[in-house]
Amino acid sequence: MESLREILDPDFLLRNSVYVSLIAGFACPLVGVFLVLRRMVFLGVALPQISSAGVALALSMHVWSGHFGNVHGDNERLAAVAGSVIFTLATIFGLAFLERRGRGFVEGRIGTLYVVSLAGSLLLLSQCPQAESGWMDLFKGQIIAVSNSDLQLTAVVMALVVGVLVFFRREFLLVSFDREMAVTLKKNVMLWDVGIYLLIGLTISIAVLTVGPLITFAFLLLPPLIVHPFARNMTQFAVASSVLGGVAAFAGFWIAYVKDYPVGPTDVVLLGALYLVAFVVKKVMGKG
Amino acid sequence: MSANALLSLDRLEAGYGRSVVVSDVSFELTKGSFTGLLGSNGAGKSTLLKTLLGIIPSLGGKIIWGAEGGKAPVAGYVPQRDSLDPIYLFSGREVAEMGVCARVAAGSRVPQKEKERVNECLKEVDALGFCEQRFSHLSGGQKQRILIARALATNPDLLVLDEPTAGVDAAASRAIVELLRKLHQGGMTILMVNHDLPVVRELAQQVVWLANGKASFGPVNELLNAERMMGLLAGSH
Repeated sequence: MESLREILDPDFLLRNSVYVSLIAGFACPLVGVFLVLRRMVFLGVALPQISSAGVALALSMHVWSGHFGNVHGDNERLAAVAGSVIFTLATIFGLAFLERRGRGFVEGRIGTLYVVSLAGSLLLLSQCPQAESGWMDLFKGQIIAVSNSDLQLTAVVMALVVGVLVFFRREFLLVSFDREMAVTLKKNVMLWDVGIYLLIGLTISIAVLTVGPLITFAFLLLPPLIVHPFARNMTQFAVASSVLGGVAAFAGFWIAYVKDYPVGPTDVVLLGALYLVAFVVKKVMGKG
Repeated sequence: MSANALLSLDRLEAGYGRSVVVSDVSFELTKGSFTGLLGSNGAGKSTLLKTLLGIIPSLGGKIIWGAEGGKAPVAGYVPQRDSLDPIYLFSGREVAEMGVCARVAAGSRVPQKEKERVNECLKEVDALGFCEQRFSHLSGGQKQRILIARALATNPDLLVLDEPTAGVDAAASRAIVELLRKLHQGGMTILMVNHDLPVVRELAQQVVWLANGKASFGPVNELLNAERMMGLLAGSH
């Protein structure tokens, strides 16, 4: 319990890491609910990795362009944010466009993007040793050094995303559930689709920068997938997913701190164990 | 377009991308009429329906809606119920409430007046007894009633139904037929896609018949003669 007291202490050295984990834990599942409902789970797996490739490209750009001086501090941060946001949004809008045209093999495209972006990130960072040391930690799920500005950026973006999702939930749900009905009701379906993709893209790009792709993926998808079979309505589904994400984020951080594990893999294994328990419980309850 | 017309199609072409499924479709729906839309599988019934509702763009020709008092007519759409994903945890009432979305500003709460309107629609289709249950857990006939209630909640000038009796048992099908008859007797203009010829004969006054990419339009007794019915049955197998 001493370790718990330490973590909860406002002067705790890694307090920003705790806060940023909690923010991602509460906010990502709310966005993930829409990924699950729209049956875009594969995209939830691939986008954080693609976002990471954007970060890696931005950080190693100076090497590829022949300027061997490194980018530092605020410039590095800005480049990483730009790389993450541009890659995520370009991918999500590109895939949505191709899907609406109804051509090709969607899962094939997403799978290819995932594996290529993972390999690309590693190759890019291997040529950029200074960036590699810090960012490789993040890619592995180590949340250690979170600056105040990172924490503020994450808090502001996530508050904005959650606020917009909650405020316009009826419209987002209508367009997701019955697109044709929405058209007959003269709703601007394209606008609402763009809105939801923007929110998904923003959440993933900011979460990847602060907690890394592994935790982002886990918090986006695992809480909604665990909660769905037990939820009685859409509100319960969203709220319980968010609460589970937040609680798992805190519990994961605590276990990782006590056992000296990396936070990301601890969070993912914890959520994976909960998923297994939920699977067994729903089988026993006959909900499978 | 005649004075009493609610909807007029003039040489309409419908299809997907560059592929025309039906062409040269011309007919008029008058206010208070009941029209059946028939054709064998793949004839383009749903494509035509979606085109006139604006869900897919038309490839040619004109769709003219008769405006009443300067107000654009509203079409209440009842899709095939299997097109709705059971992963959504909506109750029947929540699905029906979607019908009022066009009259409620984005982001604002559904006013009490609109909630009462939804209740009236649920009552009209006799769905109050099961509307609080999860939509995906309802039987085919119950889902259809909820979707009709949702369409009615739009306060439609035209009710458009895509295969409302497909895949439901005989008793539920009979109940839906009686419901549609009641709505039509109340003055509702109805356009219904249906494979069930006896149902169309029983309810509709006129028929749009799609075959070989073309449409024929006329009274039920003329178009649904024995020869055409045999042709349709042969085409659907």
